[in-house]
Amino acid sequence: MPLELAFACPLPNGMHARPASALEAAARGFAAEVQLINQRTGSVADARSVMSLVAADIRPNDPCVLRVNGADERQAFARMKAFVEETLPHCDPPLPQQEPQEWLPLPRLLRNSGARMLQGTSVVRGIGRGRVVRAGGFRLPDGLALSGGVAAEERRRLASGLELLQSDYERRLAALGQGVERELVAAHQSLARDGWFCGLMTEAIAARGKTAAGAIAEAEAHFSSMLLARENPLLRERVLDIQDVCRELLARIYPGAKAERELPLPEAAVVVAETLTPGQFLALDRSRLKGLVLAEAGRTSHTVVLARSFGVPMLVGVAGIAGISESEPVTVDAELGAVVWGMTPGALRYYELQARRERRRSEVLQRHAAVPARTSDGGRLEVGANLVSSEEAGLAFASGADGVGLFRTEMLFLGRSAAPGEEEQFDAYRRVLESAGGKPVIIRLLDIGGDKPLPYLQLPKEENPFLGYRGIRIYRGFEPVIRTQLRTLLRASAHGRLRLLLPMVSCLEEARWVRGVMDAEWTAMNGRGGSCPIALGAMIEVPSAAFQLDELSRELDFFSIGSNDLLQYFMAADRADARLAGLYSPLQPAFLRLLKQIVDRLRQLGKWVGLCGEMGGQARHLPLLIGLGLDEISVAPSLIGELKRELSRLSAARCRECLENALRCGSAAEVERLLAAKDLRQAPPLVAPELVEVDCDAANKEEAIQIAVDLLHAQGRAVEPRLVEEAVWAREQVYSTGFGAGFAVPHCKSDAVAEGSLVVLRLKRGVDWGALDGQPVRVVVLLAMRESEGASGHMKVFASLARQVMHEEFRARIERGGDAADIAAFLGERLPPGT
Amino acid sequence: MKIVAVTACPTGIAHTYMAAEQLEKTARKLGHAIKVETQGAMGIENKLTQADIDGAAAAILAVDIAIEEPERFDRIRKVQVPVQAALKSPEAIFAQL
Repeated sequence: MPLELAFACPLPNGMHARPASALEAAARGFAAEVQLINQRTGSVADARSVMSLVAADIRPNDPCVLRVNGADERQAFARMKAFVEETLPHCDPPLPQQEPQEWLPLPRLLRNSGARMLQGTSVVRGIGRGRVVRAGGFRLPDGLALSGGVAAEERRRLASGLELLQSDYERRLAALGQGVERELVAAHQSLARDGWFCGLMTEAIAARGKTAAGAIAEAEAHFSSMLLARENPLLRERVLDIQDVCRELLARIYPGAKAERELPLPEAAVVVAETLTPGQFLALDRSRLKGLVLAEAGRTSHTVVLARSFGVPMLVGVAGIAGISESEPVTVDAELGAVVWGMTPGALRYYELQARRERRRSEVLQRHAAVPARTSDGGRLEVGANLVSSEEAGLAFASGADGVGLFRTEMLFLGRSAAPGEEEQFDAYRRVLESAGGKPVIIRLLDIGGDKPLPYLQLPKEENPFLGYRGIRIYRGFEPVIRTQLRTLLRASAHGRLRLLLPMVSCLEEARWVRGVMDAEWTAMNGRGGSCPIALGAMIEVPSAAFQLDELSRELDFFSIGSNDLLQYFMAADRADARLAGLYSPLQPAFLRLLKQIVDRLRQLGKWVGLCGEMGGQARHLPLLIGLGLDEISVAPSLIGELKRELSRLSAARCRECLENALRCGSAAEVERLLAAKDLRQAPPLVAPELVEVDCDAANKEEAIQIAVDLLHAQGRAVEPRLVEEAVWAREQVYSTGFGAGFAVPHCKSDAVAEGSLVVLRLKRGVDWGALDGQPVRVVVLLAMRESEGASGHMKVFASLARQVMHEEFRARIERGGDAADIAAFLGERLPPGT
Repeated sequence: MKIVAVTACPTGIAHTYMAAEQLEKTARKLGHAIKVETQGAMGIENKLTQADIDGAAAAILAVDIAIEEPERFDRIRKVQVPVQAALKSPEAIFAQL
């Protein structure tokens, strides 16, 4: 007599791999048959098969029945009842990646284009196009026969492969503490012993003449397509687990045919993966890599740092990547934060307009790059470049870098089997120094360990690498490597203005030790005694360094704040943990106070101080950085032009006030609000020739609004162009701003607007605007106003324009006037001066 | 005829002022005297006093939103229209007065 228990599925995400493997573990070891019936669909699952449980498509609150039948059913039922009632509801703690993310709306033109797209967090901006290559996915190594083996022999190979895999999983589980990684390995293990999965492979050999390899490929295809058909995104993502297990199983059976470590890339490739280690990234052919799309959500992993320095557009936290097929041509749009494929004419037109806007934008930025960065009241803050390879130096200086604020030498050492020789290093250092043309270059000594392991140094794997054996801490242990690097740098110093930087300094002795080695090498090199004249500095990234600045200053010449690590150590918040993003914020008032204390003390000590973390790369943080009185910020080369432009609009005096106010704030959100205040910036004129287009080729209203917002974007007049566009459309929804006579005055009042602006488009062909008189619109005048500006300043100009546009004579002058400069000059004369 | 008017649109950036201009222009053309108050992003401008209103023959309220101090117009003959109507066919509004 079977025993039954009815219950509603208590899992917030339904039955997916992790709860299913917990259920499977509970059901194991009894003789009785244990079944789980989904009463919504009628499907019956074997509780001892994860795949079978997953296939039953049990969704949250689905009515379910647990049925136990067989020899030891009483004990089995008691155990299963306890599991379902007490353990199952807690089997699915929410994962940070699965939390619903709020994305900015995509531009209307693209959104309505019919192309397919997924959104994600953009961590390296830019746009890349290529064919999808799945990393970590399943790929059958070349040269394996899929069928035609001897069945008994193939069965034996499969069985021993499965056995080997099981014992490997056992070993890994024994070494792992509690946590997500353990759950993942456990889920893989239960897949590898899943009755359905193993049965399907055995059957493929027996009934369809497959080899073990053929059977694995068949099982992979079968379960992947089953999971991809599921509504639950968690299940679709589990395709990656199936692929991992199949790949590992193949590697056990065919050790010689291990799937290639280096992923072959087509001419232009976009790599799509659950996650990608820095080592895996470096193994890719970067000349062919056009974009990266990861499901994992971390923003500051070293893979991100690498991708940024190589300018590879990158998205993270993209849910649903399993739905993008291998070799599909895709566009990684890390400007918008979306991966787009299945292009339509509408989507292509969006990208045509986008390319035009980017050309304009880079022309504008180029003009700023060429001049030294000064605030509107003459304050100075150098903008340096962060480099990871000497090849980037040319681009950095072309973009207007005032120097190199951080050259990370570890990339010379990573991704190889032995340390680089002296000549190879010398070459790289000399190239950077020479391309600087006399500007200062800060080169950081090897910063390795923990999350950036090197095989030839054989650093042990650590429980907590960020608090471990890394940076300057390993120098004594690897003295020959450091000595060689120092010697090479001292030699290269003849080629430019070299300054040396030490990573992860947490106490004075560390710096003294390097100073000693440096002086000894210097003496050996030129045969005279005395101390080495090359400037030596320390990263301030361990909080303890911030509390011995006086002592460190006696040994060292300058300092560079590494804001990423300093913030992570100071707030005790892992920078890769998305749940802690609120804590891991450089706007935390306590962190700002720490920065203030550091910079003030170093100012008193007369030491140079820069900042080289992600904090410096955000234009909206500039008022704080200027207010601090830093000598330099150092950022990715691609950001330099934009930061210099923003800097020129800020007043140093106002920035100091802003910082003082920020130091008194109670939360990062309050600081954020301070930074949004308008009066920090000097406003550019409302009307400018750059905001007028007299031969506009917009084919419809969507394109016209897109082009108008693009002009604002290209001129740096939009904080967030997509929200400006949304605000303009929200206003159009009330009623059309086409008021007749071929004119439309779309407008918005939004703080996504950076600077109050007037855009004029004279269209080549009239477009339908849903105008009051039903006539096509030939002239578009966009009024963009900052909401927080309120009644002041620009509003008077807008009101005057609104009144004048009602007069035929005024409209005719715009419609029949000359070029952009002429129209702008006319408007400038007719409108009252803005304030 | 002496007329008073109020214009007010949702964002208060453009149509409030466009409608005001249109009403003034049309009044001039039709030979009326008009004073138009705008309630836009700059707040109330060219405010109508009670004396202005009491001395007028009629009021035009070209508004898409609730206006400030509506009680001023309690005792006067008035025509209320959407802002769009003031832009599109202003003469028709004057014809209703």
